[in-house]
Amino acid sequence: MENAKVLFTILGLEVTGYVTTMWAVMLFLFLVFFVATRKLNKVPGRFQCLVEYTLETLLNFLGKVMGQEKARRFFPLLATLFLFILISNWSGLLPFAGHVEGFRAPTSTLSVTAGLAILVFVFIQIAGFREKGFGYIKHFFQPFFIMFPLNLIEELVKPLSLSLRLFGNVFGEEMVVAVLLSLCAPLVPAVMQVLGILFGFIQAIVFTTLTAVYISSATADAH
Amino acid sequence: MTFNLSTAIWAVINFLVILALLYKFAYHPVMNFMDNRSKEIADNISEAERGRTEAESLLREYKEQIAGARQEAQEIIAKAAKAGEEERSAILAQSRNEATALLERARQEIRREKDEALLDLRREVSALAVMAAERILSRNINEEDNKRIVDDFLNEVGEIH
Repeated sequence: MENAKVLFTILGLEVTGYVTTMWAVMLFLFLVFFVATRKLNKVPGRFQCLVEYTLETLLNFLGKVMGQEKARRFFPLLATLFLFILISNWSGLLPFAGHVEGFRAPTSTLSVTAGLAILVFVFIQIAGFREKGFGYIKHFFQPFFIMFPLNLIEELVKPLSLSLRLFGNVFGEEMVVAVLLSLCAPLVPAVMQVLGILFGFIQAIVFTTLTAVYISSATADAH
Repeated sequence: MTFNLSTAIWAVINFLVILALLYKFAYHPVMNFMDNRSKEIADNISEAERGRTEAESLLREYKEQIAGARQEAQEIIAKAAKAGEEERSAILAQSRNEATALLERARQEIRREKDEALLDLRREVSALAVMAAERILSRNINEEDNKRIVDDFLNEVGEIH
């Protein structure tokens, strides 16, 4: 599953099945939100309600993690992370995912999860620096100067753990389904597929929550 | 486990693109919209609260007015009843006076009639007496008889009277 074929290249960047599926996920998300928010009514219809409910629940949840003010400030990044990862995870549950060229769950490769984790890592550093200036750099040398290597490692481990956790879970889940499919009757993997809906959701929540926590601590007042 | 740098770069690019799209088309309008709506609902609630308070004070005012009007009406009725009573007793007293006066006048009238009748009678009697005297004179009887006749006559008349 990992040796994805290169379908074509754009400006020297290889386009694999993960990339094309990402585009599909993006298109899906865009269409859903575009259609839902075209005509915003004061009394929302079902579709608008669903979108409003999703965003509001997410905002409240993040508000509990990092405080309402920060949750609002970083909401676009965190919500997009959640939605993008969630739909990517669930895309792997669709029939033929991983079996057709150009259709592979994006989060089932370390390349994508690492890409996202590195982006988050960079964002955290920028957010921390913007919030606290040089005080943010100083915190790497606290409480003692010699703690710098450990603090640095702690910071670098964050994206590593984020990307590996997400990749491992989604990839593992898909592998289990694939193995069960080759071993048992067709109905047995379906159980695992249903659980996959739950796992996909949980992993999206975990990635988003951890990112929220990292941002929150990076922008927190010096302790 | 292979790492494809191109896919990773694509992931970053794609994520940034969808972030920008969703920010422009979803979060920004939806958040604004929901905030506005929350504010509007809060405004409506406070406005409704204010309206309710106002309505309550108006109701209290009207109730007071109605109670005042009722009391006034009661007073007017009482006053009218009192005036009616006074009028009644005044009319009664007046009619009683009138009746008394009427009675008095009737009595006087009767007395006057009686006196008149007496006078008439007396006139009649004297005429009769004269007639009787004429008759006596024409029969030419003695004085003793005359006296007796006049006495008898007068007695007769006195009995009638």
